[in-house]
Amino acid sequence: MKILLCTDGSSYTARALDLGVRVARKAASAVDILVVAKRDREEKARQMAEKAAADLETAGIPVAIHRRSGQMTEEVVLQAQAASYDLVIIGGRERRGVMRLLLGSPALRVTEHVPASVLVVKGQARDLKQVLVCSSGGPTSERTVRFAGRLARALGASVILLHVMSQLPLTKSAVLDDLEASAEELIRRGSPEGVHLGRMLDLLATEGRTGHAVIRRGLVRDEILAESREGQYDLIVIGAHITPGLNARLVEDLSAAILLTANRPVLVVR
Amino acid sequence: MRRRQGKRLNWRKPGLALSGFLLFTLALGLMKGGAGGLTPLLRNHLEVTNAADSMGFGWLMAYLVLSGSPVAAAAVALLSASVLSYLQAFTMIAGSRLGACLVVLLIGCIYILRGHEHWTALTAGILSLLLTGSIQLAALPMGLLILGRGWLDGLSIPALEGLAAGINWGLEPLIGPLAAFLPGWALFVAGVGLVTLSFRLFDRALPQMRLERTDLGQIPRLVYRPEVMFLMGLAITLLTMSVSISVGILVPLSARGYMRRENIIPYILGANISTLADTLIAAALLGDPRAVTVVVTHIVCAAIISLLLILLAYRPYERAISNALAWIARRRNNFALFLGVIFVIPVVLILL
Repeated sequence: MKILLCTDGSSYTARALDLGVRVARKAASAVDILVVAKRDREEKARQMAEKAAADLETAGIPVAIHRRSGQMTEEVVLQAQAASYDLVIIGGRERRGVMRLLLGSPALRVTEHVPASVLVVKGQARDLKQVLVCSSGGPTSERTVRFAGRLARALGASVILLHVMSQLPLTKSAVLDDLEASAEELIRRGSPEGVHLGRMLDLLATEGRTGHAVIRRGLVRDEILAESREGQYDLIVIGAHITPGLNARLVEDLSAAILLTANRPVLVVR
Repeated sequence: MRRRQGKRLNWRKPGLALSGFLLFTLALGLMKGGAGGLTPLLRNHLEVTNAADSMGFGWLMAYLVLSGSPVAAAAVALLSASVLSYLQAFTMIAGSRLGACLVVLLIGCIYILRGHEHWTALTAGILSLLLTGSIQLAALPMGLLILGRGWLDGLSIPALEGLAAGINWGLEPLIGPLAAFLPGWALFVAGVGLVTLSFRLFDRALPQMRLERTDLGQIPRLVYRPEVMFLMGLAITLLTMSVSISVGILVPLSARGYMRRENIIPYILGANISTLADTLIAAALLGDPRAVTVVVTHIVCAAIISLLLILLAYRPYERAISNALAWIARRRNNFALFLGVIFVIPVVLILL
């Protein structure tokens, strides 16, 4: 797995670089470190990048340091588009309120434009021991679960597969049993959700990781965030929002919503 | 042979729609003509003398006829006959909207009584009530302010009024003898019955909509943007003139009969606005600018509140509704308490 780490010398990117090095030591075959620093932080950024590179080289991982000048977000996108990465790990200060409304979210801009999976480091950034993989049942689920499985195996992390059922019955002919069943019951019963979860668990197994499935009921976004808090997960994994054509304007971008509101690292799989 | 059958089907629906419209107009004429006879019953026996009373009355009437539209039409007819005041007609329409939600809830209750003991069967009905209740609660003070200040006074729909005058002239030979023969209250009740029948004819005249072939066919599975579902609820209910039919159009999209709550909440918010289109037509056909003003005020208030929620506070609102739904459905006692409240409130309103 080829990984891109980034720093601008700030404390926010320092945390991302630190977690990135810990991930890369276990999961990377090669690492690029991108340094995008303004003059006042140039020395600090250089030191951080060299320390990270030394750590990785000690672990036998080849490292290349790239220097760019300009806006961090734009340069990360350009670097990721210029080379081929499996994973880009970023951190950085997130805008809030009106500023986010006016200027947008830097992390969101990276996840939207980078042609690779992006791990956005937020919150405490502990070792990634427990991973929550969100599975919608859509076309991106398979790729998301495979990637999460591969990463979890490398990190030795446990995996929980989450599916949120927010459906309500509209008619008396509605299949109510499926709305109240646990994940195990759904799998045993062979309901559409059960078949999907079973297939995703099999995929995890083929990636060398066993996990178990959890069903929650309620609003999708709220339930993912609630499960991540209650289960004290170290990482939330979610598929990138890819719905070309008219659907992109009709459908909610849940990965963006989770990315902006979660208080822990989020991996958006592409 | 096949071509001839297709032609007959094409003419059947416009025929049903035209019959429904004529019946609707006749029913309005009967209600307006008979409304005066209801005055002693409403004022002396039921004591419907203020805005709270009329809200409770509209609410209970909608429970009784299992639909909000005939009651809302009755409210504008009563206003047109000066049996109700401006404000009373407004609150009676609000009550009719709240009462109409019981229909969905009742279907759920019947399902449970038939042995399918799942609280989930009731969630669509509870959700309808929570959404309508929250919007009406916010729209009431706004509507009373608009009506009190007279900001929307003097509205009319000249095209429909002209049509109404022509139709009324045509129906007069039928209504006149009936009015001479039947007491006022009987005329009014016959009007309510005919208006309910006319809505059934409209329902049968509706064209078949096939959303499953469009980009919206994945509504049961995907989470759509609230603005999209809001506009969709608004548009489809405008065509069907009924929230329950409008929601019913979504059902064939899911083989399993359910939808994501993220999609259905904004859909019902949009539907709650355009469901008053038939009442607006009724008000215009009565040829009374006061009736038009009351209905337009209702539509404007519901639209403003819903749009503010969708654009500015949708997430907290969606979460609050979803949490309330979860609490009500958590235990039988909670549900019983909720049922008690929705039956007690209209009675308390009438007693005020």
